[in-house]
Amino acid sequence: MSKHTSTPPGSGATGIEARERGRKRLRAATVSAAAASLVAAGAVAISLPGASSAATHSSSGSTATGTHHGTSDTNGSGSSSSSSSSSSSSSSSGLSTPTSTPASSSGGGQVTSGGS
Amino acid sequence: MSGITSSTALWYASRATGVVSLVLLSAVMIIGILVNRQGRLPGLPRFAVLGLHRNLSLLAVAFVAIHVITAVADSYVSISLAAAVIPFVSSYEPLWLGLGAVSLDLMIAVIVTSLLRRHLGRRAWRAVHWLAYVSWPVAVVHGIFSSKDLQSGPLLYLAAACIAAVVGALAWRVTRARAATERAGGVPALMASRLARAGDR
Repeated sequence: MSKHTSTPPGSGATGIEARERGRKRLRAATVSAAAASLVAAGAVAISLPGASSAATHSSSGSTATGTHHGTSDTNGSGSSSSSSSSSSSSSSSGLSTPTSTPASSSGGGQVTSGGS
Repeated sequence: MSGITSSTALWYASRATGVVSLVLLSAVMIIGILVNRQGRLPGLPRFAVLGLHRNLSLLAVAFVAIHVITAVADSYVSISLAAAVIPFVSSYEPLWLGLGAVSLDLMIAVIVTSLLRRHLGRRAWRAVHWLAYVSWPVAVVHGIFSSKDLQSGPLLYLAAACIAAVVGALAWRVTRARAATERAGGVPALMASRLARAGDR
């Protein structure tokens, strides 16, 4: 490593060594970027909104579907979310989902009425 | 803690890899913009900057592939494999998912032509490579509007930072190109004046 910096500039070996050094830095940068991307993906997944409501729903089996659709779906899944919430008698988790359900206003309304 | 369970893992993986893909694609765009105008990154020779551009592109493509595969495999929202590739045929969020499909198709075109670069002419490859400039904004619009993740909170700032960084790099490149054009435009006048001076002698 240190010998790369001690070589005099202009010599033939300097170009090859500089290229090798550049290659090592490229490899290090690529590996760092890949590792950082994986860590970032994990961190984003953990911090994504809807995680807490999904956790409460997962305990009651199929009602996780209702939470999931509520956060991201707008069209066809509203009916399935209402049916799943009507099957779960505990309305506390069903009522908490509209905080993360801005996409489906009609579906969210069905969840609330079904729970109550 | 998180609500990631075996039943929601694919959903979270799809959303998370989508966010990371946006950041990686933005980085690829920025490096691509900078490199074309003799831009250098500190500590890296020019060939390494080009290599980093290529490697980050492949990394971004890998994350996009995981993003698409997990979205298709996720059983909560039914997105068919055809809808991931063919624009605007999805029953779920047809417009926003369609834009994602358009972006993916453009990306595939850029990758395939880059792999076949030796067989294509440089001009043809360059023409297709410009599609990357279309693919990125389409992917950003898809990311922002296909889910609520990028519409609020820290991820909104992240998306805004990505957009600002790419726009800033583009502005820098346009400014540099304009300055270079002006310098080149001054060359004929300079030569004419020197020729006139030489003629006087």
